[in-house]
Amino acid sequence: MKQKDIKVLVVDDEVAFANTLAQRLKMRDMEVGTAYDGEQALSKLREKTPDVIILDLKMPGMHGMDVLKEIKRGYPHIQVILLTGHGTDRDEEEARRLGGFDFLNKPADIDYLECKIRKAFQEKLERTM
Amino acid sequence: MSEHNEQEEEKNKKPKIYNFLRVLFHPHDFLGILSEDRYKSLKIRIVLIEAMLSLLPLFIVVTISYFWFQQILKDDFKNQLKWELENTKQSIEFFLEERVSILRFITSSYTHEQLSDQRTLSDIFTKFKREFPGLVDIGVIDADGIQRTYSGPYRLAGADYSDQTWFNEIVIRSSNLSDVFMGFRKIPHFAIAVKREVPDKGTFWILRATIDMKTLQKYASAINIRENDDVFIINREGVLQTPSRFHGNVLEQYKEIFSFPEDNLSIKEAGQSEGTCDICGYAPIKNTPWILVAVIRSSPYAKIPNIFRNELFFITIISVFFSIAVTIALVQTVVNRIKKADQAREAAIAETEHAGKMASIGRLAAGVAHEINNPLAIINEKAGLMKDILEGSRDMQQNREKFLSLISGIFDSINRCRTVTHRLLGFSRRMDISHDTIDINDALKEVIEFLEKEIIYRNIRLDLDLKKDLPRVVTDKGQLQQVFLNIINNAIDAVEEGGLIQISSYSKDEHFVRVSIKDNGRGIPRDKLKHIFEPFYTTKEKGKGTGLGLSISYGIVQRLGGSIHVESEVNKGTTFFVDIPILSETV
Repeated sequence: MKQKDIKVLVVDDEVAFANTLAQRLKMRDMEVGTAYDGEQALSKLREKTPDVIILDLKMPGMHGMDVLKEIKRGYPHIQVILLTGHGTDRDEEEARRLGGFDFLNKPADIDYLECKIRKAFQEKLERTM
Repeated sequence: MSEHNEQEEEKNKKPKIYNFLRVLFHPHDFLGILSEDRYKSLKIRIVLIEAMLSLLPLFIVVTISYFWFQQILKDDFKNQLKWELENTKQSIEFFLEERVSILRFITSSYTHEQLSDQRTLSDIFTKFKREFPGLVDIGVIDADGIQRTYSGPYRLAGADYSDQTWFNEIVIRSSNLSDVFMGFRKIPHFAIAVKREVPDKGTFWILRATIDMKTLQKYASAINIRENDDVFIINREGVLQTPSRFHGNVLEQYKEIFSFPEDNLSIKEAGQSEGTCDICGYAPIKNTPWILVAVIRSSPYAKIPNIFRNELFFITIISVFFSIAVTIALVQTVVNRIKKADQAREAAIAETEHAGKMASIGRLAAGVAHEINNPLAIINEKAGLMKDILEGSRDMQQNREKFLSLISGIFDSINRCRTVTHRLLGFSRRMDISHDTIDINDALKEVIEFLEKEIIYRNIRLDLDLKKDLPRVVTDKGQLQQVFLNIINNAIDAVEEGGLIQISSYSKDEHFVRVSIKDNGRGIPRDKLKHIFEPFYTTKEKGKGTGLGLSISYGIVQRLGGSIHVESEVNKGTTFFVDIPILSETV
């Protein structure tokens, strides 16, 4: 299985963060798209379904939790990794309950994040098989 | 208006009593007694009041019973005196009757002729005197009042008594008792005369004996008297018949003013001298012109028996001791309970305060973490990307432009972090304040201009009521505008589309100008109201507010020497009041 096959969508209202992270993940041989709020992310899903979504919680407009709900309702196979700056234990609990694959706090180590993305992709493959 | 004044007066009247009671029961409020001393003073006051309440009736009862007992003793004493007077009086009466009987016996045993004989009379006198030493002399007087025969120490044979009152009286009566007189020997004595009728001749003769007053005195002094008491005999004109201790000698006038008793023995209280009153007993002696008088000044009844007094004293002391001991024990228990309850309450309050503080700190920490984590994440990614690039290629020149843009992105994020830390420091540290002389209304209008677009966009009605000619204030314009911006922003967020915001400014008093910002939005529940000035506390949707606006505003207004407070009612709206000092004092 080629690494290029992993399609990732980074959703974060911090444009600088989303873009930089996307660039770094691309350098790690992934296909990366960006969205800067919840609505944008959901509309992008309709065009092209990614394997893994990196999702921020606190965003203007739609909250990350609501975005997670929507994703899990429409696309249960997509794995969602939450990456947020102010994650509380309760948020993590809620995210896992809603079917989030993992819950990471900003700033996250890129190698750790890459590892998680790959694990999430594995998970997705196992589920769809 | 007048009704209003009356009510005010009514209000003022009541608090006078209320205040008095307050001072009595809560002196620490006025004296500023604190903590431990407060309980001590509470104890003392309760003990004093309780002791007063329990001891006052005790003392009243003791005093009443003391005087009541004294009165009983007095009455008892009066009865005793009456009895003694009665006895003495009867003794004197008996004595006098006896003398009269003896004289009668002599007059009936001897004829006038026999008694006219000097030897017979002397013989009778001698025998009589032997039996009765008080006898002074004895004489026989004929119907003309001439003393025919006389036996005694004086030469009184031939004395003429015809013009004397006693003689005139005895002509009518059968016997007579004279007042005391001094006579020739200058010793007080009295005379008893007995008339003997001679029916066949139609004439009479008289046997007269004089008796030393000392014999009567003896009877009088039989009455049990004390140091200051006096017993004596007076006649009906008040002339002393026997010597007295304090009321003069024989034949002197008895000076005490009193109405002479008729027949019966009487006891009177008279002559108030130095708080004690004399008890006077008057006993008229039957068939005589005499009254037996007893004046008791020593008031022995006033000396209550020691045993009673000691018992009373002992019982009182024990009662006092017991009631005070019980009171102190009770008060100790009650006040200690109060103290414990107070301490528990204070501890609970302190705990709540502490918990609140910890919650605030927690919220602050979470807020700071969030605010700083985002830029940190950017720095992380940018720096990470630079590293990735460096690891991927050896040609630095090629990536120069990219690096510069990444580094500037890192600086942007660092600036964001700095803003957060700077704001945080603003809570604790005083920042420099500029002093501008400004018109509050102008400052408000500038802020509103800044927000006008949003207000129009959201179809919000803005109602401005700005008082003209407000005093200009010396304050920091920029910071004050920051405050207004924060509050009006909140108001805009709070109201629905088409809502109403009212902003007014007016003089609160001579020191403060007040700006009130009122909205008709959803309001703030009571439990949240107390948190709104805490940093990072927000009720806005996630992502909309940092929770710093109001706490920063609060700090700014405080630094400017003003104050900020809020009133809110759920579903009716919220009003913020900002008081700005006219002459700003930097604290």
